[in-house]
Amino acid sequence: MRIFIYSLETALRSLWHEKWINLLTIMSISIGLLIVSTFISITNNLDSVLKRWAKDFGLIVYLNEGLSRETEDTLKDFFEHDSDFTAVTYISKDQALQELRLALGKERSVLDEFDSNPLPSSFELTLKRELLNPAFVERKASEIKHLNGVEDIQYGEKWLSSLSTLANVMKVSAIFLGGAIFIAIAFITYSTIKIFFYRRKDEIETLKLLGATRSFVRLPFLLEGLFIGIIAGVASSLGLFGVYSIIIKKISEFLPAVNIIMTPLPIKAYFPAPLAGAFMSFIGSLIAVGKIKY
Amino acid sequence: MIQFINVSKSYDTDIILKDISFTIEKGELAFVTGPSGVGKTTLLRLIYCAERPDEGDIITAGWDLRKLKQSTIPFLRRNVGIVFQDFRLLLNKTVFENVALALRIHDMHPKEIKEHVNGVLKEVRLKHKENVFPHHLSGGEQQRVVIARAMVSKPTVLLADEPTGNLDSETSKAIMNLFRGINTKGTTVLIATHNDSLFQGTGRRVLHLSDGQIEKEFIG
Repeated sequence: MRIFIYSLETALRSLWHEKWINLLTIMSISIGLLIVSTFISITNNLDSVLKRWAKDFGLIVYLNEGLSRETEDTLKDFFEHDSDFTAVTYISKDQALQELRLALGKERSVLDEFDSNPLPSSFELTLKRELLNPAFVERKASEIKHLNGVEDIQYGEKWLSSLSTLANVMKVSAIFLGGAIFIAIAFITYSTIKIFFYRRKDEIETLKLLGATRSFVRLPFLLEGLFIGIIAGVASSLGLFGVYSIIIKKISEFLPAVNIIMTPLPIKAYFPAPLAGAFMSFIGSLIAVGKIKY
Repeated sequence: MIQFINVSKSYDTDIILKDISFTIEKGELAFVTGPSGVGKTTLLRLIYCAERPDEGDIITAGWDLRKLKQSTIPFLRRNVGIVFQDFRLLLNKTVFENVALALRIHDMHPKEIKEHVNGVLKEVRLKHKENVFPHHLSGGEQQRVVIARAMVSKPTVLLADEPTGNLDSETSKAIMNLFRGINTKGTTVLIATHNDSLFQGTGRRVLHLSDGQIEKEFIG
């Protein structure tokens, strides 16, 4: 415990004594973490937009003209027993016409040109949120299209495909970018700690000759690396908060659509950066002190 | 006690020590002498395991150095106080902190550290300079800090490499008095020096090194 306190004192003293090189290291790491945090936040926002849209995502199944009540009931029963759907709504020809009239408003007189109701009866099927991927929806639509009594099926396949692709690209990019930046963080701390180790070579040699153990010599360096990571992480979280405040408050004043895409970040979103910074910096310091011969 | 049994050491083709055997008894104060570059420093470095012998056995304070693992060396060194030729003081630490460092390594309680360091600084007459940094001290004062650091942990063996190298004769006498004082308390002291005046008339054993061997042994 006393060795830990000594190491803590030494690490804090060195943080202050080597403030410029430490500041540079902290800034580099915090910029890296800020880039990753911002990227992950944008990805999460896109994902949540997709999920919000998914809540209302439905397949519209148009039925054949003149279908018997019995066939319609069979189809309804079939959809209701399919666990992939969360809601099944039947829209009769009359209901469809009524909705169209409402939608057309003043232009509804165009419907008077028709002798009979031209609209088909249909089912609106709401898919489970987790099943909302283009490949599955396409397969499901194709299955339904082959059912007896089904004329056609429609859903926002282009939108679904684009949004889903975008979200996936962002996720994969976030993983690669995050991985690259995390390795960079470890390398930056590794280099800084290695420089400190060489700068204090004579001091370390004296400590060894006085009977210091490996842990006594190395612990201050490990703690210093850890502190560098934590400080950089906190700085990056503050930066993320700043970026969000600017985007949401300032940009949304003249671009209200930003409010739809960017939702305020929960408090827990600010914790991963200091944790990741601390972890990667600790790993960097561990490699640095481990590589140097005692 | 320090014991060398048929010890040899060479650096590449340079033979430094050749089949050396001697014993320094427990509680003895002895000198190793000889011209510069004869291997006095190497001999001391072998005692605290900064070097390993090519051949032979060394026993320091009861530790058989041949059997000593790398991870155990720090514990040997805690029993050996070393007064370095180049002082090896930490320039960013005060006199008190430099001396206290040896005890912090021993994981001693801060209160005990304070007691021990104050005591030893009084002995070397540097108590009034405890908050001074090394570069504000004279050569003699710096050497006394090094001696204080070496003796504060009450080692069983104390090694001194040219302890009066750059000091005037008056300061050298004062330093030698300190070593005698440490030795009186039971610590085995081995001093490496090329300065004959340091051991002449002391009545202590002197080992004279020449050509990598103990050429003669006499009483100073």
